[in-house]
Amino acid sequence: MTLAHFLTIFISAVFVYNVILSRFLGLCSFIAISKQTKPALAMSLAVMFVTTMSSIITWLIYRFLLVPFNLEYLRTISFILVIATFVQFVEMVIRKISPPMYRFFGIYLPLITVNCAVLGVAVLNIDMFFINGKAVQGSFYYSAFQGICVGLGYTLAMLLMSGIRERLELCNVPKAVKDFPLGFVIAAIMSLSFLGFNGFKF
Amino acid sequence: MKRLFGEFLKGIIRENPTFVLLLGLCPTLAVSVTVINGIGMGIAATFVLLGSNIIIAMIKNTIPERVRIPCYIVVIATFVTITELLMKAYSPALNRALGIYVPLIVVNCIVLGRAEAYASKNSVKNSFLDGLGMGVGFTLALILISGIREFLGAGKLMGQTIVKGFEPAFVLGMPSGALLVIGLLLGFFNVLKNRKT
Amino acid sequence: MRDRLIVSVSPHLHKKESVSRIMWLVVASLIPAGAAGVFIFGMSALWAIILGVVSAIAAEAILQVCTKRKVSVFDGSAVITGLLLAYNLPPKVPFWLPIVGSFFAIAIGKQIFGGLGQNIFNPALAGRVFLMASWPKYMTTFIQPLNYDAVTSATPLAALKEGKLLEHISYLDLFLGKRGGCIGEVCILALILGAMFLLIRGYISWHIPTTYILTVGLFTFVFGPKGLFTGDWLFHILSGGLILGAFFMATDYVTSPLTYKGQIVFGIGCGLITAIIRLWGGYPEGASYAILMMNAATPIIDRFTRNRVYGAQ
Repeated sequence: MTLAHFLTIFISAVFVYNVILSRFLGLCSFIAISKQTKPALAMSLAVMFVTTMSSIITWLIYRFLLVPFNLEYLRTISFILVIATFVQFVEMVIRKISPPMYRFFGIYLPLITVNCAVLGVAVLNIDMFFINGKAVQGSFYYSAFQGICVGLGYTLAMLLMSGIRERLELCNVPKAVKDFPLGFVIAAIMSLSFLGFNGFKF
Repeated sequence: MKRLFGEFLKGIIRENPTFVLLLGLCPTLAVSVTVINGIGMGIAATFVLLGSNIIIAMIKNTIPERVRIPCYIVVIATFVTITELLMKAYSPALNRALGIYVPLIVVNCIVLGRAEAYASKNSVKNSFLDGLGMGVGFTLALILISGIREFLGAGKLMGQTIVKGFEPAFVLGMPSGALLVIGLLLGFFNVLKNRKT
Repeated sequence: MRDRLIVSVSPHLHKKESVSRIMWLVVASLIPAGAAGVFIFGMSALWAIILGVVSAIAAEAILQVCTKRKVSVFDGSAVITGLLLAYNLPPKVPFWLPIVGSFFAIAIGKQIFGGLGQNIFNPALAGRVFLMASWPKYMTTFIQPLNYDAVTSATPLAALKEGKLLEHISYLDLFLGKRGGCIGEVCILALILGAMFLLIRGYISWHIPTTYILTVGLFTFVFGPKGLFTGDWLFHILSGGLILGAFFMATDYVTSPLTYKGQIVFGIGCGLITAIIRLWGGYPEGASYAILMMNAATPIIDRFTRNRVYGAQ
């Protein structure tokens, strides 16, 4: 469990295999919320919180419940239930703290549940840090850390995208591509540029 | 009767889940590499959508509001499991082709999105039509996108090489290409829409 | 163009400089590199350049006519894009490659954003990575320099990535362009000539190229192959598309930060990413990707390096 390991996880999750621009998970909310920086950052924080906590909880469930009882095939269902419950909890908290933000998020807050990034990192942790059902050394800390880093990668992509779209607000973009079409094209070029990190080997 | 038909039709064009509501993009990008996969996924997702919309519309008044999302998920996951088992039994080739994206229908924004936005507030009959329309709309969108990507990105359609001697652009088989295709299609549809008004 | 936003009271002196004139001067400063490329690689290079430029002009004209905007192909910006795209191609490519690349660069890299001044990404580089992802075979097949029989050969950076260094490549060879590579990137001498002209006349500022190149040199020196501080930094500076990118593409006004502070951040960022990809990434060269990524970060950089306005809190 060395520093190099953690560094590799950080660079991988945030840059090399960025959850949105390289793994293409979490796109619905990415395209919808990235129009302005403030809400984009707020959504990113919410997602990061969910990915981190659900990484921890799903790891515990897998290690102490599913594996000992040979129930690995229940992985998907149990993970998604954990995530769904957690998101419901986050929803209640946001509703209490800031009703305008709650209304702003609209349907996209409960949709963090089905944000492929969240389920994706939970499954990824298992695939990467368990061998034949046995946890590798430091598996728990790696999984939790990867949860945080995936959230950071999501935040990076959101930050870049919101900056770009805020600037484009000041330009006169052709009417037909305003907002979403151009958003997708920008995401396409961004993901093309992130291809540069392919084949990374420390 | 006209109004019922309208509930069905809106999912195809006016409220197309992929191009208008912008839901379900992750699996759309991943699966739309070939037309066969697109059709297979569309049918599977439609089945799940129908099942979950109906059940949720039936039990909507008995679910406590605080735990509605986890309840919806259980219902959806059940139908996904049924779909998975049926597919494994009756068309194993398709199941292998779609791989992990069949269980990932659980996280398809369209299914949960319609449950939350429609089935939880409307009658069983309307929810059924809504589900059907959304499913068909999703399938058509998948066919369009995967048709473009398969033809220009691999030179084939439905697995068959159509035109010889043209070098396909591999980027279209990658998600970058999918994002590009979706973006350009959306722009194109907007042009058509603006021309009408 | 030392200051981007000069806010002052009239009367103003009127100079001959206009945006269009500057762009044509940039075109002129690029010509030596292209001429060298043609000399080193032969007629196929010339064809690539011609096709790239003509397609870029055609794409822009067609799109502007179709969207009922003013046709602006004579301002020189399409020519620059076409030239730079061609310069980023290997010398022997099928005729349609520069055409498709230019069309993509102009249509998706520039016009879809609303045209000149509004694009986020460098159009030529957007075209290049698109071509790279679509037809990798054509984009990575290079030929030997000064051998008009078009014998294939690897580029120095590609050889480095494979772990085998090309024998008898000297720094002078790299500087003059006697090596495999893309049309406009190989002859450092020609590139420097053009770049010096632009720098001296003040059309580009030194901040981005200097920080970019210095960062690459420093990083590749520190993280050398045989341990710390053993890297061949001169080799890295003279290889690949670094000089072309640092002077002619990273400095594009539209896609780089407004303030000098921002430009320095931009240059360092480009340098870091380029060096990291060269040293540990799967591709031998990372300049195109680095610049595009920093293009994406430019709006955020601008946001955080805004100049203080007099009178504001």
